[in-house]
Amino acid sequence: MVSLPAWLGALDRKLLRDIWRLRSQAFAIALVIAAGIGMVVMSFGMIRSLEATRDAYYDRYRFSDIFASAKRFPERQIDEIRSINGVSIVEGRITSGATLDIPGISEPITTRIHSLPPGGMPRVNALVLRSGRMPDPNQPTEVLASEKFADAARIGLGDRIEALLYGKKQNLRVVGTVLSPEYIYAIGPGQIFPDNRRFGVLWMGEKHLAAALNSTNAFNEALIRLERGGNGQDVIDRIDTMLERYGGRGATLRSDQISDRFLENELAQLSSMTAILPPIFLGVAAFLINMVLSRLVESEREIIGLLNAFGYRNRTIMAHYAKLALVLSLPGLIMGMMLGNWMGRGLAGMYQEFFVFPFLTYRAGFDIFLISCLVAMAVVLLGAAQTVRKIGKLTAAEAMRPPVPPNYSGGFAKLIGKIRKLDEPTRIILRGLVRRPFRSMLGSFGIAAALGLYVTSAGSMDNVGLMTDLLFNQANRADVNVTFAEPRDERVLHELERLPGVMRVEPVRYVGATLSAGHLSRTESLTGMKPDGDLNRLVDIDGGLTQPPPRGLMISSILSKQLDVKPGDEINVEITDGRRPQLTMPVAGILKSPVGNPAYVDFERLGPIMREAPLSSGAYLSVDPDKADALYRRLKDMPIIAGFSQRAAALNGIEETVGETMGIVTLFNTGFAALIVFGVVYNNARISLAERARDLVSLRVLGYRRPEVSYILLGELALIVIAGLPLGAVFGYYLSKYLTASMSGDLFILPFALTAETVAMAILVVLLTAAVSALFVRSRLDRLDLVSVLKTRE
Amino acid sequence: MAEPETSFSGQEGSLYSIRGLTKVYGEGPTAVHALRGIDLDLPRSSMVVLLGASGSGKSTFLNIVGGLDDATDGQVFFEGRELTALGPSELTEYRRNSVSFVFQFYNLVASLTARENVALITEIADDPMTPEEALALVGLEKRLDHFPSQLSGGEQQRVAIARAVAKRPKVMFCDEPTGALDSQTGVIVLDALDQVNRELGTTTLLITHNVVIAEMADRLLRFADGALVEDRNNPRRIAPSELKW
Repeated sequence: MVSLPAWLGALDRKLLRDIWRLRSQAFAIALVIAAGIGMVVMSFGMIRSLEATRDAYYDRYRFSDIFASAKRFPERQIDEIRSINGVSIVEGRITSGATLDIPGISEPITTRIHSLPPGGMPRVNALVLRSGRMPDPNQPTEVLASEKFADAARIGLGDRIEALLYGKKQNLRVVGTVLSPEYIYAIGPGQIFPDNRRFGVLWMGEKHLAAALNSTNAFNEALIRLERGGNGQDVIDRIDTMLERYGGRGATLRSDQISDRFLENELAQLSSMTAILPPIFLGVAAFLINMVLSRLVESEREIIGLLNAFGYRNRTIMAHYAKLALVLSLPGLIMGMMLGNWMGRGLAGMYQEFFVFPFLTYRAGFDIFLISCLVAMAVVLLGAAQTVRKIGKLTAAEAMRPPVPPNYSGGFAKLIGKIRKLDEPTRIILRGLVRRPFRSMLGSFGIAAALGLYVTSAGSMDNVGLMTDLLFNQANRADVNVTFAEPRDERVLHELERLPGVMRVEPVRYVGATLSAGHLSRTESLTGMKPDGDLNRLVDIDGGLTQPPPRGLMISSILSKQLDVKPGDEINVEITDGRRPQLTMPVAGILKSPVGNPAYVDFERLGPIMREAPLSSGAYLSVDPDKADALYRRLKDMPIIAGFSQRAAALNGIEETVGETMGIVTLFNTGFAALIVFGVVYNNARISLAERARDLVSLRVLGYRRPEVSYILLGELALIVIAGLPLGAVFGYYLSKYLTASMSGDLFILPFALTAETVAMAILVVLLTAAVSALFVRSRLDRLDLVSVLKTRE
Repeated sequence: MAEPETSFSGQEGSLYSIRGLTKVYGEGPTAVHALRGIDLDLPRSSMVVLLGASGSGKSTFLNIVGGLDDATDGQVFFEGRELTALGPSELTEYRRNSVSFVFQFYNLVASLTARENVALITEIADDPMTPEEALALVGLEKRLDHFPSQLSGGEQQRVAIARAVAKRPKVMFCDEPTGALDSQTGVIVLDALDQVNRELGTTTLLITHNVVIAEMADRLLRFADGALVEDRNNPRRIAPSELKW
């Protein structure tokens, strides 16, 4: 026995020795508390770190408040925008798409190129120079590349890359790598996951980019920073009016910027996870504390009576047990804080895979630790409350009397007696369960919580699997998807058809448009699709196929909510390309589209709407894999090709990054689920053993074999676990459904795709963990002293 | 456990033959000699009372002979088979098939009725009585479906006796079976034991502090300080109902 310091009071000495005696149960509880507190610390800390980092990044690098784009507007227009009330800084720039030919990558790479102002560093959306230097204004070929893209595509400083820019080949030289607040989440058009190898951003001197695009003294984008308190919508309205005659596409607020939206979406997801998962752990922890403490008090009735008889006040005794519960939780709290900090750092590292910040330091902060402490204490006291209250009601005489023998003559116990076929050990198990229905039920709930957690976590892999299947196998079935530098007539399609390996070509047309209904409006694009298309199809989240309507618009369910319209309603369409026609179109149908806010029209209808011959913005190609390399070589040389994506490569990229990240998250959640199972099963078994030791040893003495006695001890647990399984499967189903829904926003709808295999796997994991935890206790059963128990009265 | 060096396998006709039975707890100067070389033969069907003060060694003796504890030295033969050479699972089989126990505090399973407590044993026995027969033997045929919490101490102990005899054991070990009971109830319990011994011929080893109880036995063994200090046969067994204490 460890010697304790002399100044410690008698009750505190008892407390410490009790803790030592209960150490293995305390450890199991500590693990569950640690998981709950760890999640609280990690999630709150992560939300705070992400928000703080984002705000600091946006502020320091002057991230644009408003983005305005047009076909082409003169430089002097910038001064006019600057004169709008509420505008602080305006900067014009040129943005263009381009394809790159990078050594070692057979397919052309889609990039976006932004111009750098004459001074070098942009005043709005300033860049973080990570390596190398800014381009020399006198060197037309020098460019900056986004850091993640340069890393993924293995482009080093000084490397030359060939770009096809506005139909002309340009030999560019990367002289620096940068980060931009505009590309924290960098995704290609129509994507939802970053693929850094196949989508990159370049920056080059304004003069040189303008020359390459034949666009001197003009911009096609304006970036606006507002004054503090400036009214964004007013500024947008003024800018839209100003740029209308230059082919303005409708200015948007930062909150509509794609990278910011994904970041915001991530924060919302993190918040909803924080609201659900830690309470599950902490609820289980409260239950375990309740269970352990009530058993302890039951076995210490005489001691409580003695203390009472010696003149200890009731509240002193109650405080003693409450303190014991608190001390019991202390290791869990400390472990939880350390775990949370550690997981937070790990999560920050994982976020860097998707969200690129110049710095992302996970910092939980003192107040989060303090809140965690308070939460943990509240949970522990909640768990201890019932037992402590019971102590308060015990009188000395009552407490010193041995507890009344448990009465089993009640209804259910009688009923069990009527089932003649049961053997006696099974009867013992069943009566034990019904005598403490609340405890048994809570035990099953604990198991259900663990199973639900695992199902939810593993189910998210199913969801992403279905999402990628919908996007890459059901909807987009083209091997290659190209976009043109500008819309072209059908001759380009014939040209594509004649390229090596091309088996089928289907055109697609995008036009910018402002869609409005009543006072609600959205700046989106209309997609013209061939009704009989096979390479790009309209697929809803349930996998159902539909066709673009012969009349009117097929809009996504997200867009229908944003505009508050239903089928049959009229939408005002102001097209911001070409002749900028304005018309009203009926909503012909609503598509529960997995990604984005598309509005579809029949490809053939778009020509008459635009008052021009049918044009294509791009095409879907089906390609003979054996001839793919030859095709890519030709595409790299085609001036018309401004964007390129290869389905298989994109799918691989997603599976690698997303799969790996979700794999880690699932591994953690599996571990957490296992902790709950261990906590519940181990504590239940230990308490069951303590309560039944006398019975079990008596049976051993009377000739029962070890497996027969184990059956009584573990059979009850097995029933608790088994009862928890269907509960857990149902709980997991709904939790998973809820979380899936809460993760979907106006960026994408995550399909709910939980499979029976996932649930079966979850059940297997829970059963295995339960079996291992039970074996720990069974080994104690073997060590019970047959002789000593017989001489003692319980 | 070492193989016996001798070919001794017990005295002819004895149920138990015990030679040099020794039990030492601990080592060195703190070692406690609980049994110091006991030699004894016990015939079948006898009623034997073990007397002695606390710490005299009688419980240790009963635990070893009952297959609950191992000996430090010496041999115990049961029907010619050396118990002291058996492993834990063989001892379990010995307890399961050949012997039975009655404890001071009854050790009934609180969640089972009287009938079910007995059935707990009949279910694992080869040729048991029915629980109803066993309970009738101890006069509890009307309390079959009562739970322990609904029975008096004496009734609970009689259920324990019914549970012990139901499997028709060769030997019944009773450790202070009346220790927790008043004298009147104690007599009823002893009566049940006496009846089982006479009617079924079950060899009964009964530990008690109470010298008076020795009068109901065929034989009295008195233990003191780990040694057998008295071994005498009673000329006449007195019925429990005639005992006075």
